[in-house]
Amino acid sequence: MKLFFKKALVALVAVSSLLTVPAFAQQTVKVGMSGRYFPFTFSKQDKLQGFEVDVWNEIAKRSDYKVEFITASFSGLFGMLEAGHIDTISNQITITDARKAKYAFSMPYVIDGVQVTVRKGRDDIQGIEDLKGKKVAVNLGSNFEEVLRKYDTNKEINIVTYDTGIEQDVALGRADAFVMDRVSSVQLIKEAGLPLQLAGHPFEEIQNAMPFLNKPSQLAIRDQVNVALTEMRADGKLAEISNKWFDTDITQ
Amino acid sequence: MQSSFDLQYIIELMPILLKYLGVTMEMALWGFLFALIIALTLALVRVFKIAVIQHIASLYISFFRGTPLLVQLFLLYYGFPQFMPIFVGMDAFTAAIIGLSLHFSAYMAESMRAAILGIDKSQMEACLSIGMTRLQAMKRIILPQASRVATPSLMNYFIDMIKSTSLAFTLGVAEIMAKAQMEASSSFKFFESFLAVAVIYWVVVIFFTRIQHLLEYKLNKAY
Repeated sequence: MKLFFKKALVALVAVSSLLTVPAFAQQTVKVGMSGRYFPFTFSKQDKLQGFEVDVWNEIAKRSDYKVEFITASFSGLFGMLEAGHIDTISNQITITDARKAKYAFSMPYVIDGVQVTVRKGRDDIQGIEDLKGKKVAVNLGSNFEEVLRKYDTNKEINIVTYDTGIEQDVALGRADAFVMDRVSSVQLIKEAGLPLQLAGHPFEEIQNAMPFLNKPSQLAIRDQVNVALTEMRADGKLAEISNKWFDTDITQ
Repeated sequence: MQSSFDLQYIIELMPILLKYLGVTMEMALWGFLFALIIALTLALVRVFKIAVIQHIASLYISFFRGTPLLVQLFLLYYGFPQFMPIFVGMDAFTAAIIGLSLHFSAYMAESMRAAILGIDKSQMEACLSIGMTRLQAMKRIILPQASRVATPSLMNYFIDMIKSTSLAFTLGVAEIMAKAQMEASSSFKFFESFLAVAVIYWVVVIFFTRIQHLLEYKLNKAY
């Protein structure tokens, strides 16, 4: 029995070392994304694709890293980053002060603005100042709730968080508006075929980047990513990827 | 609503979703197997009233029945790795199986305990009178009868577990619900996508309900 235990232990150690060693040797960067943020990261015919995927494949080409995409619910991504299950998140993560205090961000790769979107024909809402007393949908775990709260000093906006389908509920009239970044709002309206329209102009510039843990090993990856991003910005590759998905350059 | 129902889309989506049914079923089957083992252990500990351990078993059952599965999955996959680095290496698939088996074993332990206690006390006394140990009596006489009683409720938990695997996407497991959500995010055909995934779950559950009937028929033969 004792011998069996010893053997089992040896086998266990051998197997576990097999499992961990190659991961370090190949320098794989695990990139977390929701797979549910069209057209940044989504699945079509079972193929993960989108702006984020293209950017990372290009980063991989220009560095020594292999990229592995890991899709999970958006609400789980930061937990995975904290727990070390992934190295970074590529899901249009906006740089905020709270996040900056906690994570080391790459350089911004998308510059955008916050946009209010309403059901087609709702011309009474022309921007954030018209949202008082209205039911406004935001995605769970996104920072748009924080942005709205900052403007809504008297707590007059009824903010509702959704895990999925905010555009659906606004189109159905269950919510008065949703707040998201301009780029994906435009895309949603174009592609969804849902009766939606932009309400007024975007407000508050936002910069999106990839967060890493503040650890030497992770900072090393971050620095390599920055080098690749700088190159891609300089030689126009980043703009090219943006144009492919958005018909406009969202990286400037 | 402008968009109309798109049956063609469901037909195209089905094969994609079915590719990931294996992941869903693997989680459910492994989870159920481990849950059975844990639950039987817990049930026996509580039936035999083993000193100290029975209180630990009660605490375990209380915790895993008293907190939501999603919270337990998050604790396991996102919480523990922050304090115990050993958990970082655990992949989402494993975490989901562990979480499912821990959660459902608590419920299953109670229905197993009920089934065991439902077997008349006199049977145990008869076994002891002819010289069997309590464990022998349990194995040879009580458990075979109790398993018949417990089967319907255990199958209930299995069905529940199959459906609960849909929470695994919050940990990053690409199972059928995850795929349905991801495909819907680019096609915007939410109704069709979720209807497709609902139909798959339903058909699977109907299949296992058939198996349950066969199993019950077999177990009831002696009666």
